[in-house]
Amino acid sequence: MAIVTMVFLLPRAMPGDPLSALEDPDAGYFITDPEVRQRVLSYYGLDGPLHEQYLHYVGSLATGDLGWSVARNTPVAGLIAGHLPWTLLLVGLALGLSASVSYGAGIVAAWNRGRLPDRVVLVALTGLRGVPEYALAALLLITLAVLVPLFPLFGAYTPFAEYESLWSQVSDIAFHLALPLLALTLSLVGTKFLLVRNTAISALGEDYMQLARAKGLPLRRQQFHHVGRNALLPFLTVMALQVGTAVGGSIFVESVFAYPGMGVLILDAVEARDYPVLEAVFLALAVTVLVANFLIELVYRRLDPRVGAQ
Amino acid sequence: MGVAVVGTVVAVAVFGGWAAPYRPTELIGQPLQSPSGTHVLGTNGVGQDLASQLVSGARVSLTVAALAGGGTVIIGALVGMLAGWLGGFVDAAAMRVVDFVLAIPRLPLLIVLGAYAGPSIGVISAAIALTFWPSSARVVRSQVLSLRRRSHVKAAMGFGAETAYVLRRHLLPEVGLILVAGLVSSAGRAVMLEAGLAFLGLGDPSRASWGQIMRDSLEFSGVFYTTAWVWWLIPPLAAITVLLLGITFLGVGLEQRINPRLGRHIVGGKS
Repeated sequence: MAIVTMVFLLPRAMPGDPLSALEDPDAGYFITDPEVRQRVLSYYGLDGPLHEQYLHYVGSLATGDLGWSVARNTPVAGLIAGHLPWTLLLVGLALGLSASVSYGAGIVAAWNRGRLPDRVVLVALTGLRGVPEYALAALLLITLAVLVPLFPLFGAYTPFAEYESLWSQVSDIAFHLALPLLALTLSLVGTKFLLVRNTAISALGEDYMQLARAKGLPLRRQQFHHVGRNALLPFLTVMALQVGTAVGGSIFVESVFAYPGMGVLILDAVEARDYPVLEAVFLALAVTVLVANFLIELVYRRLDPRVGAQ
Repeated sequence: MGVAVVGTVVAVAVFGGWAAPYRPTELIGQPLQSPSGTHVLGTNGVGQDLASQLVSGARVSLTVAALAGGGTVIIGALVGMLAGWLGGFVDAAAMRVVDFVLAIPRLPLLIVLGAYAGPSIGVISAAIALTFWPSSARVVRSQVLSLRRRSHVKAAMGFGAETAYVLRRHLLPEVGLILVAGLVSSAGRAVMLEAGLAFLGLGDPSRASWGQIMRDSLEFSGVFYTTAWVWWLIPPLAAITVLLLGITFLGVGLEQRINPRLGRHIVGGKS
């Protein structure tokens, strides 16, 4: 609800209104006819007082009406339906992949702390945290798509391709996904790795670890069952925070690879000053992130009964 | 090492005009010239001197680092100290706002803010500060909460010291160290975000920033069919990466100095 209100108020708090962008002769979509202007105003409910506008906005949202794209002259809901799945695919896989890599690597590094491989990985991933997603993406683009043309330069699938089978379609999509996914995953690994490593190290000194060692439990079981369990809760907390970061990062990555997700949609909307699209995209992304956070919260409660007891 | 890198970039921004004598927006030659004596890094697709643009980009990045990084830390410190010190309703309300801003996707919010407010370095810095203060507010608050309970602060209060005195004398020095570390990391993030926004086409078009140069080069159709990207795309990419790495390592160094226990963990041997 707070997000809906914010999305509603933000454009109205800023100078100008959606129609002044339409009146700008440079914009290319401008309206000169005052009668048309009035019709558009009343269509968007912009001629009433603020609280009526708000009720109108919330009311149409409730019926699933996200509005109408000014620049493309299509319903916004359709645009989002075409773009959101690509972003969900990219962000979901990147979060999952980076989670498993950083979790495993963090525990193994903590186990072998201070030795050479740990130090190398530590410095590399600390550094990686400082490299922006667009730089990673551009570097991957240059090395693996230009210098060594292993992967396609842009897009999510081969345009106009006719697939012989479902398999060839899936592999085409996976092929196009590889570089954007790699860029986004790499940008997400660092923070989680450092966290897992640190919590695992502090768990190593605990008494129950001595016991586990004394019992002669298998190494893997010691590592992942005893140490890993300790790192799990803070890890989930960071995961929840990272969902937003990942969605943000996907905008950069999509822009470099012209991947047809929400990022590209939001950028086109900015360029065209297509405010209804901009608002709806932001709303959709915010809802996605909140739902993901809620899911992580559910897992969290299951794993830590203390949270539920409060 | 971090200090050296950041220092070099500052030096380039200040004295760089000497090595790159053109105005960054000036059309001074043929498009897509290879690096030569007159144009150290060659020219871009419309014939602007790339070395001069790179120096201008350093200035943009450092300005935004100072404005947005400083803004983030100041708002965060004010909210964090107030919430931690006053507690109660103020604290609860402030923390709900923090949770909310942390949970929503901040980059899209920044883009929406930027789109409505228009591109200029001041606006972009303000927008970054307004979307990214919550994390530093949270850190400051937890530090103030733990300080409040410590005996020397309690003793000072017990002796009837005024609140302002306790805040200044006992809280500020300890929170101050955290703020310095916070400033370094938010400055880094601000540099990254400004370049990112410019890269996405939301930057100040009247100034050549590193993100803007990268965007121009990638938007130039067929840039990968010539060798131009070597001197057009790579230098700003390298510059931003090196600056951010410098800031990151500066931050890690500072954190270890502020919190020596952390350092022991990272270096720590086998126990």
